[in-house]
Amino acid sequence: MKKLLILSAFLAATAFAQVDKPIEMPYVDYPMVQGDHDEVAQQYCLICHSWGYILNQGKKSRPYWTGTVQKMVNEFKAPIGKEDQQTIINYLVKHYGYEATSGQGH
Amino acid sequence: MRYLNRRHFLGAGLLLGATSLLGKETPSKPIAIPQEFTTPIIAFPEKKPMVTISDRPPLLKSSKGRDIFTQAITPNDEFFVRWHLPDIPTHIDLNEFRLEVKGSVNTPLSLSVDDLKSKFEPAEITAVLQCGGNSRKYYAVTGQATHGVQWDHGAMGCAVWKGVRLKDILNRAGVKESASWVGLNGLEKPAMEETPDFFREMEIKEALEDQIIVAYSMNGEDLPYLNGFPIRLVIPGHFSDSWVKMLSEIMVMDTYRTSFFMDVAYTVPDNDCECVVSGSDFEYKRKPIAAMKVKSVIGYPSSNTVIKKSSKVKIAGVAFDQGKGIKEVMISLDGGKSWSAAKLGQDYGKFAFRPWSFEWETKTKGNFTIMARAINRIGNIQPLADEIGWNAGGYQYNAVDSVNVKIV
Repeated sequence: MKKLLILSAFLAATAFAQVDKPIEMPYVDYPMVQGDHDEVAQQYCLICHSWGYILNQGKKSRPYWTGTVQKMVNEFKAPIGKEDQQTIINYLVKHYGYEATSGQGH
Repeated sequence: MRYLNRRHFLGAGLLLGATSLLGKETPSKPIAIPQEFTTPIIAFPEKKPMVTISDRPPLLKSSKGRDIFTQAITPNDEFFVRWHLPDIPTHIDLNEFRLEVKGSVNTPLSLSVDDLKSKFEPAEITAVLQCGGNSRKYYAVTGQATHGVQWDHGAMGCAVWKGVRLKDILNRAGVKESASWVGLNGLEKPAMEETPDFFREMEIKEALEDQIIVAYSMNGEDLPYLNGFPIRLVIPGHFSDSWVKMLSEIMVMDTYRTSFFMDVAYTVPDNDCECVVSGSDFEYKRKPIAAMKVKSVIGYPSSNTVIKKSSKVKIAGVAFDQGKGIKEVMISLDGGKSWSAAKLGQDYGKFAFRPWSFEWETKTKGNFTIMARAINRIGNIQPLADEIGWNAGGYQYNAVDSVNVKIV
């Protein structure tokens, strides 16, 4: 079962930039495949970006997702322990990728 | 200033209690069968409903698809959006907002938007704003899929930008002899302190070029918040990665500062083709993407359009380059065997979209591949799709565009 796509759109009252009040941004609950410790991916990945980033990349190889998670840790300083990194990689490969190891995947 | 903080509580909880929260028990949820995901279309503040690739940071493109590229000027409320860091001010008080100019200058400046409007000569330029990763999904048509969000042509637009020349600001501050780089930073912030800022740099000699402006107006209006209100940098002819939004700091520097967003992200192999010849992209010395490459995009028709025989079809689109100017756009109706010149529309300046059109009287039924190929005034021509050099980041895609239509 997928999470429902819940859109709570709060529309700004004015069409001009110089607004008196803060603009209110819509919140999109992008669907994540549940199971295989999706909660680990959810809690770490969503600190900095929505799940839309994953959904709009297409299916990727294990080396690709491994490299991407390493980039998040090494470059963006995501505080993900080694074991949880592996959990996230496995989750991404299973539900948003494939196992191939060759080529320019990363 | 207020920031988008919605998911901070998640992060905080995670940092404090990660080991106790995670990995302890296997959830008894059923395993989902992945279904085809459709990117939602949502109206963000000051925007029409747009395809919402991400809400945080916001990544939006027009819901009209190619059709937005049948016009030379892209409306503000349909202009694409692409931020890098999640915490973006949702309110800016112009009484408090200042652009700080500091570092290797004789007189540091702290400028309000009103100062920019009243104490400097205004400058206006019509220029294309294109993400370095625009059109990257098409690399996968003839080669391997690249990294990153698989943008179609939607990550570009063209607007009339009005503001102050960057060189006028730098000259007002007085750049010291020792200065060689200009660092630029805006108000978007990472969720965690340790994450690198979206810090961009350009050489001082480039920063002093005439056409670069700090824009406070877009198509005659204030910039939409999501396009960088109240001011953003405009670097005509260059990919948008250094068009810093909500620009708040200009740091004049004597030496280059290494940074993730200059040295790793938005880079390509540092060779003639700026592409991977063999092996892995990551084995190459890097260079940041900069000047755009000549490109044309078909606005109408889109692929799979069904058209009646004996119709007069106005094929239309836009073309642009790094600022040399478009010389010609060629159209093929037979998949590239023969080419005819399109009619070029109004010239909005050498950095703008050049609209073009081609009248096609459909005389025979069947499937047709329409292609558009631009050449600029220095003879740069778009590569065919199977000729384009590949890079892992999927940057700078500019191969000949094509759509398939059916005449019935």
